[in-house]
Amino acid sequence: MSTVEAPRSPYARTQRSGTNWEKWGWMYMRASGVVLVVLIFGHLFVNMVSGEGVRAIDFAFVAGKWASPFWQVWDLLMLWLALIHGANGMRTIINDYSSSVTLGKVLRGAVFLSAAALIVLGTLVIFTFDPCPSVSPEQLGMLPSFCPPQ
Amino acid sequence: MATAVATQAAVPEVQAFTITLIIRRFLPEIDEEARWESFDVDVYSTDRILDALHRIKWDQDGSLSFRRSCAHGICGSDAMRINGRNRLACKTLIKDLDITQPIYVEAIKGLPLEKDLIVDMEPFFAAYREVKPFLISNNEPEAGKERRQSIEDRERFDDTTKCILCAACTTSCPVFWTDGQYFGPAAIVNAHRFIFDSRDDAGDVRLDILNDKEGVWRCRTTFNCTDACPRGIQVTQAIADVKQAVLRGRA
Amino acid sequence: MSAVTAPRSQNKPRPGGTLYRGYTGMWSWVLHRITGVAIFFFLLVHILDTALVRVSPEAYNAVISTYKTPLMGLGEIGLVGAILFHALNGLRIILVDFWSKGVKYQRTMFWIVIGLWVVLMAGFLPRQIANIILEVNGQ
Ligand code: HEM
Ligand code: HEM
Ligand code: SF4
Ligand code: FES
Repeated sequence: MSTVEAPRSPYARTQRSGTNWEKWGWMYMRASGVVLVVLIFGHLFVNMVSGEGVRAIDFAFVAGKWASPFWQVWDLLMLWLALIHGANGMRTIINDYSSSVTLGKVLRGAVFLSAAALIVLGTLVIFTFDPCPSVSPEQLGMLPSFCPPQ
Repeated sequence: MATAVATQAAVPEVQAFTITLIIRRFLPEIDEEARWESFDVDVYSTDRILDALHRIKWDQDGSLSFRRSCAHGICGSDAMRINGRNRLACKTLIKDLDITQPIYVEAIKGLPLEKDLIVDMEPFFAAYREVKPFLISNNEPEAGKERRQSIEDRERFDDTTKCILCAACTTSCPVFWTDGQYFGPAAIVNAHRFIFDSRDDAGDVRLDILNDKEGVWRCRTTFNCTDACPRGIQVTQAIADVKQAVLRGRA
Repeated sequence: MSAVTAPRSQNKPRPGGTLYRGYTGMWSWVLHRITGVAIFFFLLVHILDTALVRVSPEAYNAVISTYKTPLMGLGEIGLVGAILFHALNGLRIILVDFWSKGVKYQRTMFWIVIGLWVVLMAGFLPRQIANIILEVNGQ
């Protein structure tokens, strides 16, 4: 028995079927990466560095940002680009290291499902968000200052 | 007389020293698993790792197995992992290594281990054959003439003609180690050799072969291959050239 | 001829073979991979906690306030460090792929990535440390 493991299957590449997405995946990682640098650095600067930094974050802070379509679009783009980028990157890593075909399928499925679910959730959150929801009296102080009195 | 003395003094003394080689042994008849074995060897400062391996095989333990042929960096038989890096034993001078420490020698990784420093190269050559590493031309050269090529056209693939198929690059690649399905740098280098040759007409066929799940897109640009190549081929550059050619759809 | 005695073996050989001694290219890839995975998992949690704004202001503020601890403050430093490295090294990879001189200068670009990372972290740390101290002193 050798401890330098032999490649897991004999040298036989599986035949290609359908469109080959690898090239597009590779392009997407780079294109989204360039845009994400701007989006994420902007996100981190506004939320963590400018003003009071992380201490300022609460419901009113988010409401103040999402009251403007500018930040809504910003976060929407960041959400989609980052999750697809991250999920595709995870797929690459799973392909590299998963030793069994079934395990690979399960892991890729889990990554795909979690990314898809969070894209849907995040998108809904951005579009259905109400900066001035009707709330119980003790939460009134948590609303942004621009809300009409309830 | 005075000149003779001067010349003699100019010849540096060849130093001798005793080094320790720790070799990863595997004898399939007796070993369940590979094991490390240490050897003390007397060598000269002009010796290479290959010479030290010879000293062990000839004077100490005849069962030590490794491949070598030319002993001069041309045949590509003796790629091995020396102190954690893929090198040709016949091109690695011992005095360039830190001899105050033991020197670790083991087989290259990612190909099935057969015996001691010998691996099964067949998967490696299979990937090489798959990229059609031979001239495919649609037209005959003029009767009695060679196929002509300008200096600039030749320049495009000059670097990748130097490959000796030693597998140092492919077996230094962390992606190749994972499952051995990736074509690997050497196959791409040898495809590059023909893709960018103006006399060849099958560049698009090879680009299509490498535009595969296991093709150029698995390259993660770790540069291990470029660092390992004993011929100094800019392997990562060659892979980048092929990626760009696939994107453009032509060489 | 001067003879030197054989060196003693100090470090035990690893049973499975030695670790490949790659250069900056290999280690930057290792880091890129680890940071990529870490950010992915952070993002999953991050979208879930942000979604609490749709539950109620109270729920969101309650969860966010549990993040405002010194330990989380340190965690945020780690996260920002990871994302900065991944982003800068990602740009380096893109230049290696698309810039004709990218391969030649990949090692130089790695050190530029490290340099920029240090500068950006130096810009971010004072702010974050000030916040952590304010949190310790009860805002
Ligand atoms: C520790 C650092 C971070 C803090 C304090 C933070 C804070 C926030 C806050 C307060 C929001 C609400 C909306 C807004 O302010 O725009 C938000 C949303 C968001 N953040 Fe971050 N963020 C951080 C890091 C990141 C990173 C590194 C990423 C990307 C990988 C990211 C991606 C997102 C996305 C996609 C949304 C929108 C979520 C949705 O649609 O529901 N954040 N973040
Ligand atoms: C900030 C801007 C970003 C840039 C410029 C960037 C750039 C890149 C690039 C170019 C690659 C491909 C590497 C290769 O092919 O070798 C990559 C891979 C990856 N990225 Fe990003 N990325 C960014 C943000 C993110 C975010 C937010 C996540 C997580 C959600 C992420 C997760 C990953 C993962 C998991 C990989 C796969 C790593 C591998 O295959 O080794 N990246 N990134
Ligand atoms: S490219 Fe260099 S390292 Fe790779 S097989 Fe050819 S000679 Fe050996
Ligand atoms: S023995 Fe021929 S290359 Fe080393």
